[in-house]
Amino acid sequence: MAQPAVSRKTYAYTFGGLLALTALTTLLGFIDMGPMNVVVAVGIAAVKASLIAAFFMHALYEGKLVRVALAGGVIWFLILVSLTITDYIGRRWS
Amino acid sequence: MTPAVEVPVERNYLDAETGIKSWLLTLDHKRIGLLYVASVTVLFFIGGFFALLMRLQLLEPYGWLVGPQIYNKLFTMHGIIMVWFFLIPSIPNTLGNFFIPMMIGAKDVAFPKLNLLSWYIFNLAAFVALYSMIRGGVDTGWTFYTPFSTGFSTTYVSTAALGVFISGFSSILTGLNFIVTIHRMRAPGLTWFRLPLFIWSHYATSIILVLATPVLAITLLMVMVERIFRVGIYDPALGGDPVLFQHMFWFYSHPAVYIMVLPAMAVISELVPTFSRKPLFGYKFVAFASIAIAAIGFLVWGHHMFVAGQSMYSALAFSFLSYLVAVPSAIKVFNWSATMYKGSISWDTPMLYAIGFIGLFTVGGMTGLFLAALGIDVHVTDTYFVIAHFHYIMVGGTVMGYLGGMHYFWPKITGKLYWEPLAKLSALIVFLGFNLTFFPQFILGYMGMPRRYAAYAPEFHMLNVLSTAGASILGVGYVLPLLYLTWSWRYGKPAGPNPWRATGLEWQTPSPPPRENFEETPVVTRGPYDFGGLREELRLG
Amino acid sequence: MADPTALLLREQYNNPVQQRESSTFGMWIFIMTEVMLFGGLFLAFTVYRMKFPESFIVGSGDMSITLGAINTAVLIGSSFTMALAVFSAETGNRRMLSIFLLATMFLGLVFLGIKFTEYYQHYQEHRAPGIWFDYRGPNPGQVEMFFLLYFLMTGLHAVHMFVGEGILTAMLIRNRAGSFSAEYHTPVELTGLYWHFVDIIWVFLFAIFYVEGLHLHKL
Ligand SMILES: [Cu+2]
Repeated sequence: MAQPAVSRKTYAYTFGGLLALTALTTLLGFIDMGPMNVVVAVGIAAVKASLIAAFFMHALYEGKLVRVALAGGVIWFLILVSLTITDYIGRRWS
Repeated sequence: MTPAVEVPVERNYLDAETGIKSWLLTLDHKRIGLLYVASVTVLFFIGGFFALLMRLQLLEPYGWLVGPQIYNKLFTMHGIIMVWFFLIPSIPNTLGNFFIPMMIGAKDVAFPKLNLLSWYIFNLAAFVALYSMIRGGVDTGWTFYTPFSTGFSTTYVSTAALGVFISGFSSILTGLNFIVTIHRMRAPGLTWFRLPLFIWSHYATSIILVLATPVLAITLLMVMVERIFRVGIYDPALGGDPVLFQHMFWFYSHPAVYIMVLPAMAVISELVPTFSRKPLFGYKFVAFASIAIAAIGFLVWGHHMFVAGQSMYSALAFSFLSYLVAVPSAIKVFNWSATMYKGSISWDTPMLYAIGFIGLFTVGGMTGLFLAALGIDVHVTDTYFVIAHFHYIMVGGTVMGYLGGMHYFWPKITGKLYWEPLAKLSALIVFLGFNLTFFPQFILGYMGMPRRYAAYAPEFHMLNVLSTAGASILGVGYVLPLLYLTWSWRYGKPAGPNPWRATGLEWQTPSPPPRENFEETPVVTRGPYDFGGLREELRLG
Repeated sequence: MADPTALLLREQYNNPVQQRESSTFGMWIFIMTEVMLFGGLFLAFTVYRMKFPESFIVGSGDMSITLGAINTAVLIGSSFTMALAVFSAETGNRRMLSIFLLATMFLGLVFLGIKFTEYYQHYQEHRAPGIWFDYRGPNPGQVEMFFLLYFLMTGLHAVHMFVGEGILTAMLIRNRAGSFSAEYHTPVELTGLYWHFVDIIWVFLFAIFYVEGLHLHKL
């Protein structure tokens, strides 16, 4: 019988971490940090997403191929956003 | 590699089972490939019919056949059908479906049920798109540009967009299936650099299919939402930005050009070595060029928006990147030419199409460089120059590749030979008709004739007559293969397993292949296009 | 005794490892396409958030952080139970698998319940876009854009949740029919991947719609 990829303990820690980060982001949300609010909110969300992908989705335990697919999706999304946003920022300069 | 098994196969995939049901419920990738052939052929001729009407209309400067409203619908429906219901699926879903598993020595694709589902979704999509046309058509152009499509057009935009939206799922399933198949189902010994370039190119195509298509889906979904719920995502009256639509649309639609042309390149990369009797020159360069095209192809979409109010800094960047994407395409053209150089070329029909492809694709690619240049683009934007350019890529490239591939693989698919002299003649007709149709359009565009108008200034008359004449010749060139290929299926001479003396795994099994493709899983011991090795085996075997 | 997994090997594959790896890899590619699907909406949000910063903060002022935070916790909890369901499948514990699948479904339904309560509140406050929308402050079109994106993105997410509930039901039925074992449970794994991915999307939706404008409006 194959050993489970991830132990229940790891799942529990991940779950705890995610709840803590949810509480943290909510609390930090009340503090006015100017433009940093967006960065913090999305940044914490990215950390949470990474936790879910790494442990719940076993991405950390998968082969290279799966990690490439995951990275590919993220990178291509960033290409879509960054090249489009550059246009909008550039239009303010002209 | 085991040589072709001489024992006659009792049941090939065509008569393993019979009856309509055995086709409609088949999980065999070869049969599904043929189902796609049937679907795209019908749709190709519907799309072609609209093109024919347009060319007839443009026979006279002030239009005599239909009014401008109908003309708008004609070019829209021609575009929608040809792009999403012929060009995108044309090669991958037919020849790709049939030959990817065979070339990698697999029994089937990784997910046969998804494969069949993809065909049904495709037909449903085509049905919805055609339904919008029967109900009264669409007049936005195939690009669905906002705010016209969302706020002003009173035609069946949502229905047509829904058709395209649904077809996206078919694309995604096919791309997903191919990627997993190529990664996971290769025969023992078939390493990445032993793969035929047909596989590399389809692999690159599949990557684009899965990464780009979802963005088109969501873009069109928002167009539908905007129309149905009367809200404004793209509508400037409600604070929306129509240029955002163009960004999202071209994020898909520029790479979509490579969805159309990479599979044609896949076919050409098989044809050129086989009919030159030489291994493909610079195999690794061509392999990586496919991947490079897929990747860089995602960074250039802004060249469709040079006059759309995009910032000039973005325009500069997109212009530069557009030049960059020409490099891997050029590498391929050079390497095909270098393969032919000093090869012992045989002028069979598929090779005629291959050479036609190389010539026409080069013209299309070179004029693409004109359009990537900011200054020239402003001059020829929305003129027939653009029309001629992309028809050289799509008709001169993809359709030539499709026909070349069809002729090359036909003996394997059906086990029969077509009548070569007639096939050669019709290849010639296609080539001449094509150039007569579209070359005058370069001149027309340069002279300033705008696209998408039902009438034009009298000084453009002569060139338009030439173009229409070419279109009717081209039409003949397309009907002929339909007739003689169908005829040969019944009455053609038996082809034998390897009529072209080609090297791929697909030729080492009987024609038509057995249901399981191979009597036993082949073990690969040499690279692709190893004609010396093949000769050796044939002598020993 | 014959290898029990051989019965479940579909004919295109040579061995169970190849079959399992193909399915998992296929699911990851599918997730990649989902990233791009939601990606288009996240792009639209980014563009309009940059164009109309004030109006978007006005819009986020109508969000209930309490309900949003609770819902996030509920959904993370459902991911946890889903992970435990996969664990149970891996250890061949069919009873626990059923229990955890049910728990995941239940938490998913709680999430949807809360979500639709929120939708109803927005509708009553005339914040549903289109003909239902009514906002008397400055730049109503821009505020409507916020709500349009909110409804589109959380709506598409909710659609994915409904699909997930359907898949979970199918898994539950198959498990009760005894289809899964320690040797063969790939469908449960794939369900898990899907469910966790939908959870990831929500994590980002929570950040951009609820948290990000929090400091600028009173409770
Ligand atoms: Cu382009």
